[in-house]
Amino acid sequence: MRRLIDRVRGLTVSLWTLIVPPSVWAVHFVFSYLWAALNCAKVGHFATFPLLYVVGTMLALLTVVGAGIVASIQARTPGGDPPHEQSTDSDRLRFLAKATQLLAGLSFIGVVFTAAPVAFLTDCR
Amino acid sequence: MIVRSGSRRTDGGNASRPGGRGRAAAIDARVVGIVAAAALLNGCNRHQSTLAPFGAEAASTRTLTVVLLVAAVAIAVAMTLLIRHAIRAPAEALSHRQGMRLVLWLGGVVPTVLLFALLIGSLPLMRPAPLAPADLRIKVEGEQFWWRVITAPGPGQLVSANEVRLPVGRTVALELAGGDVIHSFWIPGLAGKMDMIPGRINTLVVRAQKPGRYRGVCTEFCGLSHALMAFDVVAMEAGAFDRWVAAQRAPSPAAATAAGGYRLFAGYGCGGCHAIRGTGAASAIGPDLSRYGARATLAAGILPMTTANTARFIRHPERTKPGVRMPAFAHMPPADAVAIARYLEGLK
Amino acid sequence: MTDAPPVEAVAPDQNDPAVRAAQEARLRAVWKPPSGWFRRWTDVNNNRVGVWYVLTAFAFMLFAGVLALVMRAQLAVPQNDLVSANTFNQLFTLHGSTMMFLFAVPMFEAVSIILLPQLLGARDLPFPRLSAFGYWSFLIGGVFVSGSIFFDAAPDGGWFMYPPLTTRTDLSGLGADIWMLGLSFIEVSSVAAAVELIVGVLKCRPPGMRLNLMPLYAWYILVVAVMILFAFPPLIAGDVLFEMERLLGWPFFDASRGGDPLLWQHLFWIFGHPEVYIVFLPSIALFAMLIPTFAQRHLLGYPWIVLAAVGTAFLSFGLWVHHMFATGLPKISLAFFSAASEAVAIPTGIQVFAFIATLWAGRVVWSTPLLYAVGSIAIFTIGGLTGVMVAIAPFDWQAHDTYFIVAHLHYVLIGGTLLPLFAGLYYYWPLVTGKRLSDRIGRTAFWILFTGANLAFFPMHLSGLEGMPRRVFTYPAELGIGGLNMASTAGAFLFAGGVLLIVIDLALSPTRAKTVRNPWRAGTLEWLALPEDEDWGIRSVPLVTSRYPIWDQPGFVEKVDEGRFFLPDAEEGRRETIVTSVVDARPIQVARLGTPSVIPMVTAAALGSVFILTTYHLYWWALAGAVATLGCVLTWLWTGTAEIPEKPCKAIGRGLVVPLYLSGPAASGWWAMFITMLADATAFSGLLFGYYFFWTVHPVFPKPGFDGPGAFWPMVALALTLASWTATVVAREFNARGHVGVARAGLGIACGASLASVGAGLAGPWTSGLDPAAHAYPAIVWVLAIWTSAHAGVGAICQGYALARSLAGRMTPTHDADLRNVTVYGHFLLFTAVATYLTIGLFPQVAA
Repeated sequence: MRRLIDRVRGLTVSLWTLIVPPSVWAVHFVFSYLWAALNCAKVGHFATFPLLYVVGTMLALLTVVGAGIVASIQARTPGGDPPHEQSTDSDRLRFLAKATQLLAGLSFIGVVFTAAPVAFLTDCR
Repeated sequence: MIVRSGSRRTDGGNASRPGGRGRAAAIDARVVGIVAAAALLNGCNRHQSTLAPFGAEAASTRTLTVVLLVAAVAIAVAMTLLIRHAIRAPAEALSHRQGMRLVLWLGGVVPTVLLFALLIGSLPLMRPAPLAPADLRIKVEGEQFWWRVITAPGPGQLVSANEVRLPVGRTVALELAGGDVIHSFWIPGLAGKMDMIPGRINTLVVRAQKPGRYRGVCTEFCGLSHALMAFDVVAMEAGAFDRWVAAQRAPSPAAATAAGGYRLFAGYGCGGCHAIRGTGAASAIGPDLSRYGARATLAAGILPMTTANTARFIRHPERTKPGVRMPAFAHMPPADAVAIARYLEGLK
Repeated sequence: MTDAPPVEAVAPDQNDPAVRAAQEARLRAVWKPPSGWFRRWTDVNNNRVGVWYVLTAFAFMLFAGVLALVMRAQLAVPQNDLVSANTFNQLFTLHGSTMMFLFAVPMFEAVSIILLPQLLGARDLPFPRLSAFGYWSFLIGGVFVSGSIFFDAAPDGGWFMYPPLTTRTDLSGLGADIWMLGLSFIEVSSVAAAVELIVGVLKCRPPGMRLNLMPLYAWYILVVAVMILFAFPPLIAGDVLFEMERLLGWPFFDASRGGDPLLWQHLFWIFGHPEVYIVFLPSIALFAMLIPTFAQRHLLGYPWIVLAAVGTAFLSFGLWVHHMFATGLPKISLAFFSAASEAVAIPTGIQVFAFIATLWAGRVVWSTPLLYAVGSIAIFTIGGLTGVMVAIAPFDWQAHDTYFIVAHLHYVLIGGTLLPLFAGLYYYWPLVTGKRLSDRIGRTAFWILFTGANLAFFPMHLSGLEGMPRRVFTYPAELGIGGLNMASTAGAFLFAGGVLLIVIDLALSPTRAKTVRNPWRAGTLEWLALPEDEDWGIRSVPLVTSRYPIWDQPGFVEKVDEGRFFLPDAEEGRRETIVTSVVDARPIQVARLGTPSVIPMVTAAALGSVFILTTYHLYWWALAGAVATLGCVLTWLWTGTAEIPEKPCKAIGRGLVVPLYLSGPAASGWWAMFITMLADATAFSGLLFGYYFFWTVHPVFPKPGFDGPGAFWPMVALALTLASWTATVVAREFNARGHVGVARAGLGIACGASLASVGAGLAGPWTSGLDPAAHAYPAIVWVLAIWTSAHAGVGAICQGYALARSLAGRMTPTHDADLRNVTVYGHFLLFTAVATYLTIGLFPQVAA
């Protein structure tokens, strides 16, 4: 476990990894909209229990949670107390990881919000 | 991490006046009070207002509106008090950790919970009412700047213009089509609006609950006379509605082609655009005039139905409605216009 | 050339006042602005261009405000006849368009141009001539669009110009073309600004300013600039389709020929919703700078603010259909957008609470900027709450397109964009002029503005719910809203009075004495500025180890002033700033910046002529203008970019030596190309979306009877593009290894292949006889083909340019920025070609 945590801490943290969680939200959002719009336009209805949609949403949530866990581990790299505003490698790492962690939380909420309508609206009217 | 730089003097001698926020709130309240009073003194209208519903959908939305308004006011007041407190608090009253907890809970958790509850509560309200095949359909087509209204489309349909009549207590499907440009069909007291988009037919399912006379308007900018494109709405008891539809299908008793007014009507070529049941005029380009006299307004809800208004409109429609498609009949003698107007008003 | 190990160099003696004075003299000389009645306008220094930009945007704001006053006068009483319907329609269209396109976005760009280099301890932005070009484009386009009302030719279809009303040439006149073409031109300048700001924030920070130390204003600007890259291009795509329909009759939005008005609405609002966050976030960014100053402490919750900015930016792209709730789309689709519209309130609120917590945890110093900031938050909160209300579709079905929405949008814009700008004005005026504005006038103006705004816009919530639609030049007395409208009119004039007071305060500024340095005792880099103007930006580029260096780093100001940090001199007589790495701000290059030149102005005029001449259907003249523009751009590139320096490296102080030339992904020029191409690819995606949108809404698409373009020619074009791309990459690799001859041959082949692909791409639609005016299907095929071929043509020019540079000795194996940047273009061109040719060539088979 300790070795896993250390390896996770060694993973890159950058501006690109920062935007992984909200990008997952964005992809899930586009997927949701296309799924509904294309089903309604081409088929006229969508499945009562939309397996494809549920799977896609679960995948998105798992990815976001995973990114959040990685970020949380990285944010707890040993160092000083917050705020992390020293010009050191570890503070910079922990700031980026913390911001990623927060974005993961927001993205999780975003995916849940996006998916909620499918539970309530079941036809194409 | 507090600034330390010797003696601290606030700028320009304007020492702490953190009451600004409180004064802002007080002014806010005064303005709101003045406006509310003005609104009450004004008297809200009862025929074109979302706050005076006569239909099921509008009634449900008004309840939603009140709930949202109460919540919004409560949150606004709470935020005001919070900001005021934050500014007036003694120096460094909050520690870093307490501050972070404030941001997490008040900024993150509480709004998330409230918004999610709002979302879950409002999604069911988006479901349209169930529609049965036997329910009445009324097709409305938007044109610049009038409405073609076809009750019960199909064999035996009733064609009219600028007036929508609905039975109380029954589900009705309004089939909305756009003719030339995008218009939007809105009867505030009945239900939310729906756009009329060329190339599409949008269905609005409504249910009137209270009889009476109301008004609807176009709510998508559609050209010069967008502000002058309205229509009368009459909600009738179901039995009276059925009788009315049956009677309206027949030509008006006054549609006699022998009448002088009709001869002028035909002579000026009005039949090229306007239809009158029971005569040879059957064009669908302009508003149907078969029962013109029974309407309360003319020019799509803009002028009260009087002979003088009709006559004036016939000769110079562009003065009432800039950009109107109907050509002017400037050379028509006023007497002729009055005669045609009297004829049309007789079509009840 | 990347990281060379630092070499100990002989450092100048910064303790010697004579040495320092000589350095300052050289800096002053090289940064001296050009003088003369004409040459002064060829300046490119951010402190001057930024001021022109601010003043111009402010003037447009005043103009748009006057238009609003005329509207409110007309609406003060029912059935008024102060102005005609025709005039009123031009007024509201121009009011909205001017405020959004000619004030809100340019103003934030202008403020950033002034502020960002100061905040980041840089001498200037990375591409000063690009900023100047952006300014001149904005000025020309803005005067063109807003001046139209004086000729009764202003656009009159509302600021979002919905077809088919606006695309039918019988229903909408020249104004629609002026809007479309004038604003497309201005969008170009916005994308240019985005390029500048992204590269500036990521690559031009002071050494030591790692990402976790970056001022929050810079974070916000980075986020907003990236948003511009993805938000503006869909509108550009829509503009292309719109003008093709108006000028050539290609029926993208004409339902009778297979078009769909909703396509415009999608493209417009994919731009339009992020746009409002683009104008909101930079204003809030000003709060992030001034609140710590007036709380006398570091901002609390720095990662939360970053979360708020990035989160809002992403979520804002998922809201656009909430402007289309009444269009009859399936409720499930609408619900996704309703959900996202509610979710976006979370990050929006988080930053407000971070500001509140900072004030609570600090020692509040009351001041005029803080008064404006707090008042803005109050007004914005009301707007945000009504925003959550309209996010709920059933409520919006009543409120949409009524005065309720007018109330909502003005509360969020005044609270979230305008008043914060006034806060920033009072805060940053000493920075730009060395003088303070009057607290008395400022605070009086604030109360007048605050009261006026509430009096004007609060009643509109009610008049909207009482049945008053938007964009009406009059309303009947029977609605009973005359009193509400009169109150709104009174409020509007009161608000204008407040603005007038501020204008007076600004006008009195020249009569006031200079104030002290850093009058607010703030902690961030921009307050190093001296009250006496120096054009060099900063005396020496500092080494930063804190978020608030003036507060936290001992002796910081003295060290900067005495040149004890980096680049204290201009030994070679060149304008220079430091380029750093993205994450940790390690210095990696000294960049030589553009000097005053007439080229940006001339290029803007040439490009403007293309748009303006097209508006009047003078197509051959417009083509001439396009050729002139191309000439200007090539001249600009040839004379002003990728200059091979006289020596490989330079000492920048403190024993550090860095290269003077970089190429590849570490270089700012490479980034500029990459970012521009991202925007271009997004615009292309908008057009591609059009194709698949038509497929979605039509039961059968492609339409039977329109057979084309076939698979053959598109595949040939794709193969040629692939060949061109391969040859370019090969050329880059061989050039880097010293085989210049092979590289040149490769570029020649690539150029030829690109040109051939131009023809092959157009041959498909041409030989299959597709008539683009007949139906939306052939029209969209032609648009995609023309776009791709045009880009291939530009690609050929790029490859030819690189070849010419190599032949002229201006590009060598060790100095190959031109070729590397051209290769980036090639990657995007390949992506475009693959998407286009697979779609138009093969999709019809798949769909059948």
